[in-house]
Amino acid sequence: MLVHNRPRWWVYVLIIVVGAVILAPFAWMISTALMTTGQTLKVPPNPIPAPATLDGVGEVFTRIPFFTLLWNTVLASAGRVAGTLVVATLAAYALAIIKVRGSRVILVVILTLIMVPGDIFIIPNYAIISSLKLTDTIVALILPSIFDVFAVFLMYQFFRGIPRELVEAARMDGSSHLRILMTIVVPIARSGIITVALLTVLSEWKELLWPIVVNRSVDKLTLGPGLALLRGAYTTDWNVLMSAGVLAALPMVVIFLILQKRFIASVARSGLK
Amino acid sequence: MFRFYGFGYNVWLSLNDAGAFGPPKFAGLDNYARLFADDQLGVALANTFKFALFIVPGVVIVALLCAVLMQQKVRGSSAFRAIVFLPAVALPTAAILLFGWIFQTQYGILNATIRGLGGSPVSWFGSATGVTVVVTVIVVFLSFSVPTIILYAGIQDIPSDVYEAASIDGAGPIRRFFSITLPLLSPSLFFVILTTTISTLKLFDVVYILLPPELPASAKFGLTAVYYYYQLAFLNTGDRGYASAVSMVLFVLILAVSVIMFRLQRRFVHYGEDG
Repeated sequence: MLVHNRPRWWVYVLIIVVGAVILAPFAWMISTALMTTGQTLKVPPNPIPAPATLDGVGEVFTRIPFFTLLWNTVLASAGRVAGTLVVATLAAYALAIIKVRGSRVILVVILTLIMVPGDIFIIPNYAIISSLKLTDTIVALILPSIFDVFAVFLMYQFFRGIPRELVEAARMDGSSHLRILMTIVVPIARSGIITVALLTVLSEWKELLWPIVVNRSVDKLTLGPGLALLRGAYTTDWNVLMSAGVLAALPMVVIFLILQKRFIASVARSGLK
Repeated sequence: MFRFYGFGYNVWLSLNDAGAFGPPKFAGLDNYARLFADDQLGVALANTFKFALFIVPGVVIVALLCAVLMQQKVRGSSAFRAIVFLPAVALPTAAILLFGWIFQTQYGILNATIRGLGGSPVSWFGSATGVTVVVTVIVVFLSFSVPTIILYAGIQDIPSDVYEAASIDGAGPIRRFFSITLPLLSPSLFFVILTTTISTLKLFDVVYILLPPELPASAKFGLTAVYYYYQLAFLNTGDRGYASAVSMVLFVLILAVSVIMFRLQRRFVHYGEDG
């Protein structure tokens, strides 16, 4: 017998209230984006822009190189995902399938390092990047973060579920490790790999401290830090700021709405220990 | 293959370790001695812990509420799931600026509402309490989504026969939540609390964007440990040796907090009979 609890009315009310509270700031953002600067300074404010205008949106493109920033973000995300996947699959393969000597020790080190915030290694990272003469490049944005311990650990968890017999049979047939990785392990762990990729993209979008430290010129930044710069210079034009925010947040939101199930499943998996 | 792995591992390790031990010019423990006399560091650490004190319970409570609501079989629940996840995919900088606008003292909609209701507007960025409220609201808003999904997944793993048995014994929904859901959810809860605590101790983006270094309030109310570290290392002339020492303090603190939490976990977290 299954207990079917019919949701009560207050459950509906709660869901609607919580949903509205989450959405309200975004609504205000969009509506501010459609105002003129004058309209944003009305006291009391009028929540609905009348008349709505795209002035603020247009202004964004004259103040920051929006498309350059967007392109940089896409490049950095793609590069970081590719790099992280290569490093994480190779490392996880070595740890979970070959079981190199000392893999237990390495795993303990990895688990400890997951706890260590990457932000506190900014000075050494910066020293390395600048000694490689890579400051002010897109490569600088992603190089330190592709050696992602958390990704290695997640990938290790996914690879561990792969039946040993398959790998051993392939070894008997004389396949190289690289071949086994590409033809057996990667296809089986496909959804795990997608999980790591999505989580990596999400974390690249959140980066702020590292980009502003390593890249000083605006046209080498990603969207997040680029927007932060806009704040410093033009604090009062909230319509422009909000337009920029809407434009910058939009691509990821659209991607999320398309891949919603994958995103949620990926995040749910990241919590499994 | 081995070599490639070893190489990657080394590069990555060196990225982490290199230079973490202070200045090129050997100064012994001078930097560490300075730590104890540094008022600003005290302010930064106090702020960081204060924020964590509000943010972590805030995130846990909001995430629990949303996870339980996501569990309900109602029409439109998939839309609700999408809405819950929205803050996690919205660009953080954009969302932080948005809240900067909402909390804006003169023209912000929040103060306008307060004025409309007859109250007097609050200078959100001018007092310690104001800044704490703003930072807490923003960080909770930006970071409750992922914990919600993790808790939701955790709730789904709880076998339904436990609930059935409890219902038959006459336990109501609230009783069921506290005596079944919470204890059986404790591994996920622990994970959420741990990750939220660590990320709060590293708080930087919100205070950096809303309280630029030029503002006097940033030095008092909004200074977090990482923000202070950033200012030391990369503003003005830069004092990287000392900044590294500060980062080591932060590192030790976070490690200590993690260890303490893992200790507590053994006492309170329920892993099931066979776990």
